[in-house]
Amino acid sequence: MVTLKELSVEELFGPGHRMCAGCGPAITARMMTKAFRGPTVISQATGCLEISPTIYPHTSWDIPWVHTAFENAAATASGMEAGYKALRRKGLVKEHVDVIAVGGDGGTFDIGIQALSGALERGHDMVYLCYDNEAYMNCLPGDTLVMTESGVKRIDEIQLGERLYTFNKDSNTLAVSRCSGLFDNGVRPVYEIVTLHHLIRSTPNHPYLVVNRRGRGRGRELRWRMLSELRVGDGIVVLKRLARGEAFKFFSPVTRNHYKVHRLNEVKIPTQSSPELLEYLGLYVGDGWVRPRKGEVGFAITEGSTRKRLLELHKRLFGEDTLERLDEYYVYFNSVNLARFIHSLGFGRGAKSKTIPSWVFTLTEDEKEAFVEGLLLSDGYRYGKSYRYVSSSQDLLKRLRLLLQTMNYRVGKITWQTAKKGKKFPHRTLLKDTGCGFLCFSKKRSWNLEKDWSQYRYQDPLIETDNFTVEAVRRVEYVGNLRTYDLRVEKDHNFIAEGVVVHNTGIQRSGATPHGASTTTSPAGSKIPGKPEWKKDLAGICIAHGIPYVATATIAYWNDFLTKMRKAIEVEGPAVVHVLAPCPLGWRSEPKDTIKLSRLAVQTRYFPLYEYENGQYRLNIKVSKPQPLEEFLKLQGRFRHLFKPEFRKEIEELQRFVNLNYERVAKLCGEA
Amino acid sequence: MAKTIGLSGDQAAAYAAKQCDVDVVAAYPITPQTIIVEEYSNYVADGEVDSEFICVESEHSAMSACIGASLTGARVFTATASQGLALMHEMLYVASGLRCPIVMCVANRALSAPLNIHCDHSDMMGSRDCGWIQVFAENAQEVYDWIIQSFRFAEDEDVLLPAAVNLDGFTLSHALEDLVVLEDAEVRDFVGVRKPKYWLTPGKPITVGAAVLPDYYMEIKYQQEDALQRSIMKIREVNELFEKASGRRYKAVDTYGLEGAEAAVVCLGSTAGTAKVVSDTLREKGCNVGVVKPWIYRPFPVEEFLDSVKNVKSLAVLERTISFGAPNGPLFNDVLATLYKAGRQVKVFNAVYGLGGRDISPHEMETLMMDAYENIEAEEFDKKVKFIGVRG
Repeated sequence: MVTLKELSVEELFGPGHRMCAGCGPAITARMMTKAFRGPTVISQATGCLEISPTIYPHTSWDIPWVHTAFENAAATASGMEAGYKALRRKGLVKEHVDVIAVGGDGGTFDIGIQALSGALERGHDMVYLCYDNEAYMNCLPGDTLVMTESGVKRIDEIQLGERLYTFNKDSNTLAVSRCSGLFDNGVRPVYEIVTLHHLIRSTPNHPYLVVNRRGRGRGRELRWRMLSELRVGDGIVVLKRLARGEAFKFFSPVTRNHYKVHRLNEVKIPTQSSPELLEYLGLYVGDGWVRPRKGEVGFAITEGSTRKRLLELHKRLFGEDTLERLDEYYVYFNSVNLARFIHSLGFGRGAKSKTIPSWVFTLTEDEKEAFVEGLLLSDGYRYGKSYRYVSSSQDLLKRLRLLLQTMNYRVGKITWQTAKKGKKFPHRTLLKDTGCGFLCFSKKRSWNLEKDWSQYRYQDPLIETDNFTVEAVRRVEYVGNLRTYDLRVEKDHNFIAEGVVVHNTGIQRSGATPHGASTTTSPAGSKIPGKPEWKKDLAGICIAHGIPYVATATIAYWNDFLTKMRKAIEVEGPAVVHVLAPCPLGWRSEPKDTIKLSRLAVQTRYFPLYEYENGQYRLNIKVSKPQPLEEFLKLQGRFRHLFKPEFRKEIEELQRFVNLNYERVAKLCGEA
Repeated sequence: MAKTIGLSGDQAAAYAAKQCDVDVVAAYPITPQTIIVEEYSNYVADGEVDSEFICVESEHSAMSACIGASLTGARVFTATASQGLALMHEMLYVASGLRCPIVMCVANRALSAPLNIHCDHSDMMGSRDCGWIQVFAENAQEVYDWIIQSFRFAEDEDVLLPAAVNLDGFTLSHALEDLVVLEDAEVRDFVGVRKPKYWLTPGKPITVGAAVLPDYYMEIKYQQEDALQRSIMKIREVNELFEKASGRRYKAVDTYGLEGAEAAVVCLGSTAGTAKVVSDTLREKGCNVGVVKPWIYRPFPVEEFLDSVKNVKSLAVLERTISFGAPNGPLFNDVLATLYKAGRQVKVFNAVYGLGGRDISPHEMETLMMDAYENIEAEEFDKKVKFIGVRG
């Protein structure tokens, strides 16, 4: 940190140049020179800051300065740095000369990125200052089932603040986190990943947790990889078992004093779930129906062991006094309370509407097992060494599959057969379109490692924990264009969708993004509101080169900028400083607002100020109470079109994006 | 003491650069120049030369880095060929505009498309207007000698212009020849240490590469053209000094077999070797046809050229490039303009040969020379551009 008194009075970037009134880059240039420590030379790329101060025969620079072309400030600086090095070695140059390359956002981000990348890679001892005077969401289709604490829910039904199950990467265990964001991302192309037991659909840029085997003798690690990068055989982390020790508590039943209740059978309605109730419900799902208004619960079970079991369960659960009527094919229980109770549980009424409500997923292991037992008693059968369950409700089969996955069962895919109206069967002709399907599953054997010690090969100690396992990807294929959504989960930043661990929104974002900004090459028209693409994350790109120092700065925080500039000069090796410098002409703002805009950019979290020094990130200006992004946008004419009612949601999108980017940066800096 | 060693053209170039104690080399490899870069980096790695070797990521960055280094006062060398020269095209103009005395070795190779890695002059001819001094070498000895001389005259205060030494790709660059090399000390004495006139030094800040508006641009360009035209005088001086140092005499234009000859063939580069042999053969048969080989192509040595063809009545100008859509090739234009302005009545015709590395055989050269010889007496002669060796 410096004080104003310590800054030199000498003006190395002198007045009299032809920059506009209120020009951000000009302020940047002058401030930059205050951070020099000794003999310095500048290699500048073509741009505003290059032309306006050096119109022949005048110049503003009181230090050696060279401009060669637009895209090669970094390359010219490389040559200069090497020249001084060689001459110093031969004794022809005595002092150390600092080499600074200066480029605008044009000469750096696009045409200049080659030269910058080459120079960073070669590790020249120079500073690259970019004066900047200017993300893409991943998603899942709407019917994806997400594991929440209160059961399984469709992704489009999740509320903000809902508690979701997540995968804690540090301990490889199940954890719970809150959902802090919901996103409707519109219709996008969707692909499907099929593993041994799981099936999930998402857009190609959605990240999955992949086990990265680094070769013989090297360890394994978990990495996030996008769907588009997955190959057949890659192992992704999936949920194996989801069990909590709590039985589910139900609602309270109707009493004698209710309207239109004439006769009430004394039925004991259980207040919480138990294995027997679940077995009963399993039977119900397979073979039962309910008519709540009539007060009837029926089962289509013929005389036999199943009926005996049903009656036994019924007596145990609901008491001796239920009015039951037995038929050759059916069993009827007449009780309004019972009917309403069963109806309220959410298992559905008729054959096609049967499903498994989400609270079943929160039950204990043995309750779930009992449920499956009940299902098998009704519509299931043994098939070789495994079981098959038949149903005409596709939703039921899907949820059953998910449920079995959480019980660490081995599940196959759902085989669905349809038959159209009018199809002739030996015994009758179909009167309407029908469909029915089956699901094959079996219990997994647990290996006795002491007895079969060679089975260690099939265990994956990295991941084979109580709740998670790794499954290999078998197929990735295109499904179609679907309406997609995404969630933002705090802390662990992932959630479990269809039993597969997926990342939430917010890792592939870039900072300083005039998405939606109107420029001459991407004008804001009546249909397309300005630039649709998102800008590159320059700091991220430079950090990825592994250089010792990268920082972002802006002119309003001059002390911070000077400190960073000085650090960049002093570090041995390449350093990059990305400075946001508002341009009144390009931003169509008032010249008097330049500093205000640059301060607002930081205070609205639009441009986070952070630095990366030898592997450590540090957030320099923490914005705990950000101002709304609108305050920043409304001062600029280039965003004026976004304030029209039809483009308003672009502002919300930008705000959301800005928040996510700041959180990404804050997390990198350990401030999340 | 001079010694004779065997080197290919590329190796000779690297050897010369090493002996000249170059400070910075920024180069990107491209066939057929790769050996220059490889040999030089070997010298750096073995400590035989104290240089900074920047492995840049493209030829454009190579020239940019060379300019940056040259402006710090360092002695700079680089090398490239065809596509690389084309890629750095904008920077060639910047180098000469900013008066950086860079020496570049160009291993002439055909320009794409279609892709061809063999010798022709289309690359340097495509950039002939960039303001560089351009030299064409006939063999490895000339490559070696001209690079040493280039450092001397390019870095001279009165010149301060970059120089390109051209050698034919594969024909010269990869063929082993015997050449006489000077001692390291002798070369260092000859080229000396670079004393820059204007360079980026913190003691005397200068602004290089300013933006110039219409009110000054033409004057600056005129000064640059003046410097290039007058550099021929400095080149002559350096040639004389080099003769003292090495015993080999170079001039702006090389001539061979012009005694009693009224016909001659004009060509650049290694083809002159073939032409010289055929000229001897024809002389035995009684036809005197000489060879005129400009060593310096830019600035075009008007005086020396006119002097060498003072008795010649018929010329065949051999081009190893096509200037698409033009009535004739670039060398022909330069020759004809020179002759016309001097008021000489010479019958000149243009022949294009050797594109993409196609060999020109002594037999074809003989036919050409005989055509030139016959034109001496002919009233009318065929002015159409001949394409040597093209089938169909």
